[in-house]
Amino acid sequence: MPVSSRKNPVDVTFSAITAVASFSVIVLVVGILYVLFSESSLAISKFGVWHFLSSTDWDPVRESFGALTNIYGTVVTTILSLIIAIPVAIGIAIFITEISPNFLKGPIGVAIELLAAIPSIIYGMWGLFALSPIMGNYVEPFLQKMTTGIPLVAFLFQGTPMGIDILTASVILSIMIIPFTASISRDSFNLTPPIVKESAYAVGATKWEVVKNVVLPYSKLGVFGGAVLSLGRALGETMAVAFVLGNDHKITSSLLDAAATITVTLANEFVEADKDIYLSSLFYLALVLFMMSFITLAVAKFFLIRAERRFSR
Amino acid sequence: MMTREQVRKTEGYIALLLCTLAALGGLFWLVFILGDVLVNGIKALSPALFLNDPAPPGVEGGGLRNAFIGQLMITVFATLIGVPVGVLGGTFLAEYARGRRIARVISVLSDIMVSVPSIVIGTFIYAVLVKPVGHFNGWAGAVALAIIMIPVVLRTTENMLALVPWTLREAAFALGAPYYKVITQVVYRGAAAGILTGVLLSIARVAGETAPLLFTSFNNSFFSLNMKGPIASLTVTIFQYAMGPYDDWHAQAWAAAFIITVFILILTIVGRALIKWRYR
Amino acid sequence: MDQLKIEVKNLNFHYAGNVHALKNISLPVHENSVTALIGPSGCGKTTLLRCFNRMHDLYPKNRYEGEIVLDNVNILSGDVDVIDLRSRVGMVFQKPTPFPMSIFDNIAYGLKLKGVTKRSDLSEKVETALRQSALWNEVKDKLGASAYELSGGQQQRLVIARALAVKPEVLLFDEPTSALDPISTAKIEELAINLKEEVTIIIVTHNMQQAARMSDWTGFLMLGELIEFGKTDKIFTAPSEKLTEDYVTGRFG
Repeated sequence: MPVSSRKNPVDVTFSAITAVASFSVIVLVVGILYVLFSESSLAISKFGVWHFLSSTDWDPVRESFGALTNIYGTVVTTILSLIIAIPVAIGIAIFITEISPNFLKGPIGVAIELLAAIPSIIYGMWGLFALSPIMGNYVEPFLQKMTTGIPLVAFLFQGTPMGIDILTASVILSIMIIPFTASISRDSFNLTPPIVKESAYAVGATKWEVVKNVVLPYSKLGVFGGAVLSLGRALGETMAVAFVLGNDHKITSSLLDAAATITVTLANEFVEADKDIYLSSLFYLALVLFMMSFITLAVAKFFLIRAERRFSR
Repeated sequence: MMTREQVRKTEGYIALLLCTLAALGGLFWLVFILGDVLVNGIKALSPALFLNDPAPPGVEGGGLRNAFIGQLMITVFATLIGVPVGVLGGTFLAEYARGRRIARVISVLSDIMVSVPSIVIGTFIYAVLVKPVGHFNGWAGAVALAIIMIPVVLRTTENMLALVPWTLREAAFALGAPYYKVITQVVYRGAAAGILTGVLLSIARVAGETAPLLFTSFNNSFFSLNMKGPIASLTVTIFQYAMGPYDDWHAQAWAAAFIITVFILILTIVGRALIKWRYR
Repeated sequence: MDQLKIEVKNLNFHYAGNVHALKNISLPVHENSVTALIGPSGCGKTTLLRCFNRMHDLYPKNRYEGEIVLDNVNILSGDVDVIDLRSRVGMVFQKPTPFPMSIFDNIAYGLKLKGVTKRSDLSEKVETALRQSALWNEVKDKLGASAYELSGGQQQRLVIARALAVKPEVLLFDEPTSALDPISTAKIEELAINLKEEVTIIIVTHNMQQAARMSDWTGFLMLGELIEFGKTDKIFTAPSEKLTEDYVTGRFG
């Protein structure tokens, strides 16, 4: 360690200041946990853990609160958006790394990064004004027609297509996480040593076979980590879904129904919460969301670190 | 009947075609969204938008001056808080704690914090800076955004400092410089472009944040420079106006969306160009 | 025995950006022999090697002129199927390049591409290839293990086995021992010499002793030109060109 010059008093002070700044991250994580926990203590003592997580009640009048409808909405929109986003994102990454002519690689890469930089409120607003009518008038009636009478699928598309529902919210969410997922996948693909790809070509593999048998297996940890990271992001996304989900606390089997996610509930109701137990329950929801996303992100990080290690050896 | 080779090749062509379509699809959304924001936003631009404060619905000539100024103030104060903490924190990780376990832990925690739901940060700041005071205030919004900036700046700083060759530091030590001088006079200079990029990207990131402002700085239909009271921001205004029932609100929301998008895209492009230019 | 397998005729090669990397190369490659390509760094020997299986096609804007005739067919012509070509002309790289699969699947990979699916066929051919590359005894009990568990030298023999499994007619070696220790190097050299009974071998090497030990024919390249080509013992003992003599006696390079 090259810190032999520590004796200098200015140096000691400077290093202490930097240490404080960097420990602020730990303080924040612990602080957020502590504050959310203490603010929700009222709700925790009244509803307990298991009952809160499993109850579908969300009734400010009767002061009975449960998280299940919110968790359900969060999980369903997240999973649905990942189902749409991940194949597309991987396709984009394959296109950029393997197919695209060189002069297009840069511009498409930049375009994807820009798409990732657009704030979620723009996606949400665009979803409300542009996508929601298209979904409500064309896509959803079409899906409904196609699936009528097909068992195990038809129930997903019941109800009146309004464009303000789980499906629309998930589509917007997926458009939003595609660029992010694509750029992580691209970075993982680029970790595949060219020489290994060449040796697959050298045994007579086609380009697709090289991608399928070498590039994808080689980068699966990274791609998987990226997907989980996207999952973590989608879980906590607020503004992209707040416009088009409808904030309706219920558990529904149809994707054409309105629903609520934890984030949308917080965004819509936090300011209106007039009673202590109401506000405390909202903090409790925030705590649940924080834990869900923290754990998901930690898992993602774990895989991404392992993916990196494999190549730095 | 196709031969085996033909089957393999056809399968390959189909798969690669699908990937190409995916890429085209991704670009399609970009063009669609940016096009919509551009067309609707430019249509709604007018001098009044920047010079006037909101008028009651239906009354001509309302603007968003309050929100522009509010957004600017919140973002500037967030930057003033977030950037120093982030840069100094990153310095600790890359220099004084280089290679130590604690640096690794803080790095990983920061990476996680970068993606933690921003609305949760909002609830946290509400409990810490709004509830005790009794009313929404601009400082709370600025601090919430600063908290989002810190891990972003911290991680880029750490990475950029790590790219500065160790021999450069040794050369400075050899001249008898204490470590803090080596850092501030030599290492920072070597990493300046990278750190600046990190700062620009973090500003781009928070400038579009809405969720953490909803219950911190809240909103204000009047012009205000008072950070101790509720203050308007473009993003919260977009949310309120877009969800509202009036056409001129919608138009103004598009205009605000246009301004914010252009601002963020320019920051992003400048940031990326800067780092490309420096680390070619 | 002394039949020509490949004939390179007036080959010119340009990398993208118009870098003229090979200039008017003509040389014969004799069947069932080892041909070594030597020369200082940047002389074009690897570039030449990668023409034989058209590896340069993977990157845009590379340009060949002239002919490389393999069994009476010009493999540089546009209508040649490069996928098929590469299964006839195998390649081994500087560093071991196992795929992220088990040992067995690595070797079976090329076979599966060619349509061999029957497990018993696969097992038999994998075993043959592993025996050929002198790896069988070391891995026969752990064919299902990841190829990454092998040592560097073993990985390189695995990669050779993978190339052999598809029964190529020509095998290209691109400095195959540059990342290996002396013992592994000796094993690979011995292996390559034994293999020439079945395949024609072209090897690029930095190491002149290696070229002298292994090859029957040697081509010396410099700055993209073929300075001299001939029997290996002649090149190393009585070269006709001054440049060749300087290089093989270690006066530069």
